Amino acid sequence: MTKADYYCSVKLSRCRCCQSKFFNESIRMLRQPLTRALALKSPTRAAPLAARCQATQIQPQPDKVEVFIDDKPVYVLPGTTILQATAQAGVEIPRFCYHERLAVAGNCRMCLVEVEKSPKPAAACAMPVMKGMRVKTNSDLTRKAREGVMEFLLVNHPLDCPICDQGGECDLQDQSMAFGSDKSRFTDIHFSGKRAVEDKDVGPLIKTIMTRCIHCTRCIRFASEVAGVDDFGTTGRGTDMQVGTYVEKMFLSELSGNIIDLCPVGALTSKPYSFAARPWETRRIDSVDVLDPLGSNIVVTTRTNEVLRILPRTNEEINEEWLSDKSRFACDGLKRQRLVTPMLTDSRGNLTPVEWEDAIVAAARALRDCPPEKLLVVAGDMADAESLMALKDLANKLGSENVCTEQYFPLEGAGIDLRSSYLLNTKIANVEDADFVLLIGTNVRFEAPLLNARIRKAYVHKETDIALIGPQVDLTYDYLHVGESASIVKDLATGTSSHEVMKRLQQAKRPIVILGADQLKTPEGSALLAYTQELALKVQEKLADKEWKVLNVLQRTASQVAALDIGYKPGVGKLLQSGPKVVYLLGADNGVVSRDQLPKDAVVIYQGHHGDNGAAIADIVLPGAAYTEKRATYVNAEGRAQQTLVAVTPPGKAREDWKIIRALSEVVGERLPYDNLDEIRDRLSQVSPALVNYGNVQDNNYFAQARALAQSLQKPISGKMDVQLKQLEDYFMTDSISRASPTMAKCVQAVLKQKQSSY
Amino acid sequence: MSLAKIFSVSSRVRATGTGGIVVRHAQYSTPSEGKVEKVYPPSVSGYKYVNAEDPNMSMKEMSNRAAQTLFWTELARGFAVTLAHVFKEPATINYPFEKGPLSPRFRGEHALRRYPSGEERCIACKLCEAICPAQAITIEAEERKDGSRRTTRYDIDMTKCIYCGFCQEACPVDAIVEGPNFEFSTETHEELLYNKEKLLSNGDKWESEIASNIRADHLYR
Amino acid sequence: MSVGKILGLDKVVTLFNIIRQNGGIRASLYKLYRQDELKDGVLVGEDKFGNKYYENPRYFYSRNRWVEYSDKFNMDYDGSQIPAEWFGWMHYKTDLPPHQDPSRPRYKWMTNYNENLTGTTAQYVPYSTTRPKVEAWLPPRKSSV
Repeated sequence: MTKADYYCSVKLSRCRCCQSKFFNESIRMLRQPLTRALALKSPTRAAPLAARCQATQIQPQPDKVEVFIDDKPVYVLPGTTILQATAQAGVEIPRFCYHERLAVAGNCRMCLVEVEKSPKPAAACAMPVMKGMRVKTNSDLTRKAREGVMEFLLVNHPLDCPICDQGGECDLQDQSMAFGSDKSRFTDIHFSGKRAVEDKDVGPLIKTIMTRCIHCTRCIRFASEVAGVDDFGTTGRGTDMQVGTYVEKMFLSELSGNIIDLCPVGALTSKPYSFAARPWETRRIDSVDVLDPLGSNIVVTTRTNEVLRILPRTNEEINEEWLSDKSRFACDGLKRQRLVTPMLTDSRGNLTPVEWEDAIVAAARALRDCPPEKLLVVAGDMADAESLMALKDLANKLGSENVCTEQYFPLEGAGIDLRSSYLLNTKIANVEDADFVLLIGTNVRFEAPLLNARIRKAYVHKETDIALIGPQVDLTYDYLHVGESASIVKDLATGTSSHEVMKRLQQAKRPIVILGADQLKTPEGSALLAYTQELALKVQEKLADKEWKVLNVLQRTASQVAALDIGYKPGVGKLLQSGPKVVYLLGADNGVVSRDQLPKDAVVIYQGHHGDNGAAIADIVLPGAAYTEKRATYVNAEGRAQQTLVAVTPPGKAREDWKIIRALSEVVGERLPYDNLDEIRDRLSQVSPALVNYGNVQDNNYFAQARALAQSLQKPISGKMDVQLKQLEDYFMTDSISRASPTMAKCVQAVLKQKQSSY
Repeated sequence: MSLAKIFSVSSRVRATGTGGIVVRHAQYSTPSEGKVEKVYPPSVSGYKYVNAEDPNMSMKEMSNRAAQTLFWTELARGFAVTLAHVFKEPATINYPFEKGPLSPRFRGEHALRRYPSGEERCIACKLCEAICPAQAITIEAEERKDGSRRTTRYDIDMTKCIYCGFCQEACPVDAIVEGPNFEFSTETHEELLYNKEKLLSNGDKWESEIASNIRADHLYR
Repeated sequence: MSVGKILGLDKVVTLFNIIRQNGGIRASLYKLYRQDELKDGVLVGEDKFGNKYYENPRYFYSRNRWVEYSDKFNMDYDGSQIPAEWFGWMHYKTDLPPHQDPSRPRYKWMTNYNENLTGTTAQYVPYSTTRPKVEAWLPPRKSSV
């Protein structure tokens, strides 16, 4: 491949009349073969075919070539770059612009290395290896080259490390210490030659200090390749080069926070976290996110018992190294609207703070006095498996089977008896291998942003095509919109439709079908599920790859899979109409249960961490712990059990949820047989070993059985599908934590404001 | 016995005959009558014998010692020294009225300084917190309304502080300084848990002296 | 050497000088009671509290500058009653008393000096300068019937 392929620069010249000046802007796009990423908004899409040819040309070259890194032989595939080869040899080359998940840009020049018989040092990130190449990563020439590049970078970089939020975790700081010169030749302290750039306003999440920018263009590449939002770019050349949105514009993406992590310097920093802490004074606790169903791996950064920020933790199987904005920035909601003390309604009907003893006794009395069939337990979005288990055991001991979740799922047919009918069977990581994706009634972009990033990755790199049945939404990539009616699924499944989608599905080697769980709420939900199963399994049967799973159901909440595994009934529907005497809400905040649906004398016990819809209707409030405050098990949408760890202690008198239920059971008189976390996890593994098989996910089977059971449910369906989260502004505030978060509120405001702008 | 003998500072000194030096050469070995044989190693040039020596047991010396004990000459000498000091100028200073010399580099009570405009200098870079070997400094920061980086909490536990001055060395903006004041002792422990307001008010109080100290030292840094 | 000096008469003269400078026998006795010492010297200046600063090079270094605390302090004098401006002179860092030192900054935000107030009602009491970490949820008040 020639160098020209790496540097595909598009020069656009626009003129804007501004104070009678004409600006000539050149916009450079630096990327590799990602024709799709580029061609996204262009009317002609001729590129994919060419790209495909290219891809097939490159592929079959299995012989490894020998290269020498510091005289150490390494065998690598042809086409790997020097930088990747040195990584194999265990030598780390300094870099700013290179990032393994983004296209190669080759513009920071920090990775220059000496290659024997080459007249000049070569950029390791962009130079493919050749047979017998001898690379010297620590020669005088290499060191001098790095020192020179470093010096140039520092000439225009401000010396404001003391007020820079990147200080302490800054690549530029680290690398200037390791590879830079020990003295400066920069004497120009009075002449205004040092570059200064106006800051951009790209929304309430990202703070820009563009003077610090070193033009690595990582943010630009992330935006156009991963996030699918082509708002970022560069204008100007040389010392006038600026990175930014061309016109002042909010970065409208649900993955925007990742450019903060990508930025090697302090040009892009987190606004909510701004100036809050230094990396050396924080404690980092590995945990799991529960604000979307994917269970992204996170690192919770804390100091003095306060969650300061949340960063992604690399897990190739789930979130790679990205994190969605809600998961990242809603953490300030953990400090607002918290339930910090048990509460009881007083004689006037007002909730008043009481001691634990009084609250537990009151709750126990209510539970004891309640006839078993009149007890209703409702679990919410973020309930962990341990508390779900304990609460179900308690309800069962009291003789009640009325334990349910807020989110509905059809019980007919195989229903929740077979795990395969409510999970992402393909698994998140495999989605990027798919060659055709059919989305049914889901806006993946906002329901599971990182799953959408995977689909986009497949779309960009693997030429995957996507079709959508359901409301037309912006998924950041082109897709074939089949229609909004649910009956299309039926037609496809029964074979009465000969739509293009059906052909594509049948032609595809690795197709997947993703059904949004929200569609199953309607009376037609069970039929829709049945038809989707039918469709997916019909396709799956004919696949050459017998291991490939086609059927996927995308749940909406982090607790749903664990709840269904444990045996909760999805949806409160009928149970609520039977007029329950005691309603036990375990973090149920989505307003599924409201006061007017309940009898006047019903007692509502709310256990949870935020004062939201649930606590507002409660008579007894038991303060629980949020996901950063307890060691708890969550099962993500693909059925992978993961655990959160204690990052901070619960505020005030709040306690871990399963312990509250355990204490309550003692007072009720139905003692639960577990006293510590290990014992309750033993109980979980009795119910389903998958619940404690941390980090792993089992393959699901019994598709045929589910399909057989679903046959009888294939009734005609006609309704239009609708999704809850259509626009970016709908995405930010969906649960009790994000509703309490001021940052998320600001995001909604900013998005709405941006929508009114003409850009 | 002569008066000189009675008032001699030390019989040992007199015995050496060199005056004023208690230690003496080990090779000192002029054989004197009645002296017990030396047990220490033979003379090595360049070494001194510093231990107490056995008393001279000649009759003259023994009677001298007996006379000194008998006539309480030590007591009389002691009184004489005391009496002499009554008429001398005292070697101590009369503290709250007179004070000892102090270096401009003296590291006393901490203070947070301001710019001449009145803007506080501290930018919450937290280097002082990081370098503090006693971990006496606690800082919390956030963005101020005008977008500048400022602390919301700047606490120094003065009872943890070891007054090493690393904080003022680390400070890139000369905000935290150890001022000249050492007269800040308190009756309770909690009064020494300084917060930001206290430190700023210290700075406002002491700026005159802090500024002149920094000026006095500016040539050396 | 004069005869007077040999006989120590100059010391007697000094004593009478000191007593005269301190305002007679009565005043001298009071000063002796308050300060444990009587000295003669040149008045260098007076600060805003009324403390008087003296110097006399006849005394040896570190005793040659002293302060007479203002009478208003009575017997409650304290080392921290010397204001910051006089601190440097008092501690031999500078020979320029503050009113003769033009380089000392005078910003309008500089506050009045006050002594160490420990043990008084005006003493410093630590308090938090930050917001509480967690904001608790306040349940909605129902009608106050």
